[in-house]
Amino acid sequence: MYQIFIEPFTYPFMARALAELLILGVLAGTVGVLILLRRLAFMTDALTHTVFPGVVIGYLLSGEGGIFWGALAAGAATAVLLTLLTRHRAVTEDTALAVILTTFFAIGVVLVSRESGYTTDLTAFLFGRILTVTPQQLTQTLVITVLVIAALLVLRRPLLTRSFDPYGAQAAGYHIGLLDLTTNAIVALVVVASVRAVGTVLVIALLIVPAAAARAVSDRLALIIPVAAAFGALAGWAGLAISYDASLHHGLRLASGGTVVLVLIACYLGALAAGTVRRRLLRTVVKAA
Amino acid sequence: MDTIAEPALDLDEVTVAYGAALALENIDGMVAPGEAVALIGPNGAGKSTLIKTILGLIPLSSGRITVLGTTPAQARRDVAYVPQADTLDPEFPISVGQVVLMGRYRRIGWVRRPKAADKQAAHDALEQVGLADRAKHRFGTLSGGQRQRVLLARAIAAGPRLLLLDEPFNGVDAVSEQALLDAIAALKEDGAAVVVATHDLALAHLACEEVCLLNRCQYGFGPTQATLTPDRLRAAYGGHALELRGDRVIVAHA
Repeated sequence: MYQIFIEPFTYPFMARALAELLILGVLAGTVGVLILLRRLAFMTDALTHTVFPGVVIGYLLSGEGGIFWGALAAGAATAVLLTLLTRHRAVTEDTALAVILTTFFAIGVVLVSRESGYTTDLTAFLFGRILTVTPQQLTQTLVITVLVIAALLVLRRPLLTRSFDPYGAQAAGYHIGLLDLTTNAIVALVVVASVRAVGTVLVIALLIVPAAAARAVSDRLALIIPVAAAFGALAGWAGLAISYDASLHHGLRLASGGTVVLVLIACYLGALAAGTVRRRLLRTVVKAA
Repeated sequence: MDTIAEPALDLDEVTVAYGAALALENIDGMVAPGEAVALIGPNGAGKSTLIKTILGLIPLSSGRITVLGTTPAQARRDVAYVPQADTLDPEFPISVGQVVLMGRYRRIGWVRRPKAADKQAAHDALEQVGLADRAKHRFGTLSGGQRQRVLLARAIAAGPRLLLLDEPFNGVDAVSEQALLDAIAALKEDGAAVVVATHDLALAHLACEEVCLLNRCQYGFGPTQATLTPDRLRAAYGGHALELRGDRVIVAHA
């Protein structure tokens, strides 16, 4: 166990990768609960695609360092666009989302295809480069995490009310438009923060799966949030360790990002099973009483 | 002795339009503190629109609404709204106690922890609707009628001076119906004004001394017994009114 789960991280680059995934796991797991409550999984998926051209443009303009800012610009643009679209329903929401996400994604692919290292670059953008995380990137992720979690703490009551009962929230005087814009901006920020490490395709798993797994094992929000954060962080750790061990000791080259997602999915399936058993037991107890 | 008291709600020629279509036209009426008025009318008559207008969520095309002596937006702090329970997600991971505590959020603020007084108010409100023993249960595990009572408890916990309920008796069992009626009566006794949108005439009689009969336009506003005449009901409901035993009218929904 020590050899698999601790030893690899004595190398600085592996330690940094682990730190990045642990922070991202906590961040994405927490924000994932908000996505779950607001039923924004599809919007989040769209967001991960629309961030892609921003990533590419940022990279083309100023290399690795430009990725974050390019993604941030695209994420901000999408957050605003989505908030506006969902307020004025000229077209149905899911149609509009589907059009936006494919358009943005296609722009990204066209831009990448003009580069010489096409496949390598595309792979990096889609699946991330967790093993080359720099201390500077790590700091960025940490700052975003602190900001987002602080925002969620301050806004927890308006956000909860709005998720549970939109008209009630409006009647209570909360500004729904601003709350929704903030929610979309928070999701966009998390996608942007995770994109360099795990890529645009795997971000969605990091955001959706831990919260869904936590929801399967508990009905209590006060428990769901920390469990989701823990799921996210632990899956990151296990995935990274397993992919490293398989590559080094068993000659199996496993992509770390993909392994993390597979561990997440395994957690989710386990949680589903545990949840089903728990409900069965509860029902038996109720019947017996 | 309260005849000179300021009305809790004053509707003055209220007209609301969605684009070119008029949803409400020239609605007039007044509700005093401690009084309840039922908004009666068929589906699509504009009952929910009127409630949302009183909440300040839908702008007026013309006319004026005065809530507790001020504009609807400024009065929100003292107004509570009870939505239909079945419009809310039963899978939402929230306990009954948490839902009721939501009624205190405006007093608690955004960051501060709830005080003992807030928890006590939430508990008392839940007791008033007869569900104090369910505080720890998940909201979605309760029956439809019980969920409606929890939402009323949330409104009671806010300590409103004007209470707005949108079809609170829809699909509600007899026990919950009585609990809702009792809780509404208690609120009135404490001086709150109540507006209930419903298409159930019998419950309008039980819960409210006044009615506002509407179907886009207003067909009557006043004491329940005097206002709900067969003629007026027939006019408001179009061809869907049936007469039974002289003056009893049952409305069949088309």
